[in-house]
Amino acid sequence: MRGGALPNRSHKPASGSSAPRRGQGELEAQVLTALHSAQGPVSAAWVQERLDSGLAYTTVVTILSRLLAKGAVTRERAGRSFDWQPAVDPAGLAALRMQRVLDGEADREAVLTSFVTALPPGDEQLLRDLLGEAESEAED
Amino acid sequence: MGVFVFLPLVLPLTAWPIARLAQQRLDPRAAARLLTAVAVVLAVSSTLCLALIMVVGTAQLPGNPLPDGWSDPEVRKAVPFDEVAGKVAIPALVAVAVACGRTLWRHSRVRRQAVRALRGLPATQIAVLPDETPYAYALPSRERGRIVVSTAMLTCLDQHEREALFAHERTHLVAHHHRFLLAAQLAARANPFLRPLKTAIAFSAERWADEAAARTVGDRRLVARAVGKAALVSRPSPTQSLAGFAAPGPVPRRVRALLEPPPDARTLPPTATAVGLALWTAAAGTTASALSSANATVALVSVLHAATPL
Repeated sequence: MRGGALPNRSHKPASGSSAPRRGQGELEAQVLTALHSAQGPVSAAWVQERLDSGLAYTTVVTILSRLLAKGAVTRERAGRSFDWQPAVDPAGLAALRMQRVLDGEADREAVLTSFVTALPPGDEQLLRDLLGEAESEAED
Repeated sequence: MGVFVFLPLVLPLTAWPIARLAQQRLDPRAAARLLTAVAVVLAVSSTLCLALIMVVGTAQLPGNPLPDGWSDPEVRKAVPFDEVAGKVAIPALVAVAVACGRTLWRHSRVRRQAVRALRGLPATQIAVLPDETPYAYALPSRERGRIVVSTAMLTCLDQHEREALFAHERTHLVAHHHRFLLAAQLAARANPFLRPLKTAIAFSAERWADEAAARTVGDRRLVARAVGKAALVSRPSPTQSLAGFAAPGPVPRRVRALLEPPPDARTLPPTATAVGLALWTAAAGTTASALSSANATVALVSVLHAATPL
């Protein structure tokens, strides 16, 4: 199989217990950052080497596949494997993850206090009128 | 303890008038604090009484943990023995516990997920995410918390309006508004009669942040414009299809309040006004609720004490 890959299927770094366990999100961000530092499409092995964090090859491929599913990377065939390219930057990835949090929770008000709540249809005209009044008063 | 043990279950109704009036007539900071305190006391009293009703009412059921002396006829006479209410109290209490547990669990889960989503970004307080959906959130954390805002939201606001938005969100974080909101949510789970208070507390927290932002940027009209613009670009909510018949939602009321003169900072209005009356009604209801639950607890404990041959 792929040479050098340690038989470690978990997402923990393979190099002993000194490094703290990192969440999926952080690994995804790291992989994306590594892809960004490349000058073009690169292989998963290149990413693994670049990260230099003892991640197993299979773990890197798993993370890349997950990023692909989120639309955060693109890939193209290169011989028997794929070459990968970033489609979004780390901020874009954070946006994708945040969107998932927001979509997943209908009842998130107690945690994330939103600047505005959604406007029911009737409120839109009322709001426009209020703002219109405010504008015309300011001009007087 | 008598019939008074049932009072705290319905006394939250006395807080309805103030929940309705405080939003418009009280200083939002005072309103948020007052309503949260009232909601917490009423919720705790109500839950305590539910537990007492269960203990007393289920005394006849096999396997209850009460001492044997409890079945003494004299003891029986001293406490109301309502088997039906006692049995109803069991599922009610379980429902309260489950609902509160779920609320807490979801709260911590959303918080964890949101923090995780932002990992890998520079550790600035304001996190700008490239997203076509306009949103802005205050995300509390143990340190100073973060403000999450999408590029779509920023592009619809000018420089001054953005400052108003950041000042608003920073107030949420500095004043720990998520604690008020969580307390309100838990209270509404403990007793459904407290739901109007939850809405009122959420609205007061927003008004509090609006007023603080207005003081920071020194222009109430500017904050009103920022709130209005942000609401107009945000997605309409699909759930409220009958809203055309309903009273205006929170956003127009916030904008209108900002276009009017600042609220009176006096915390206690005179008794003769409607809001004063509502305030005293809520205060009386809360006190009565706390007293009757305390009284019922003391009564039950002393009866149990007397019935136990120790």
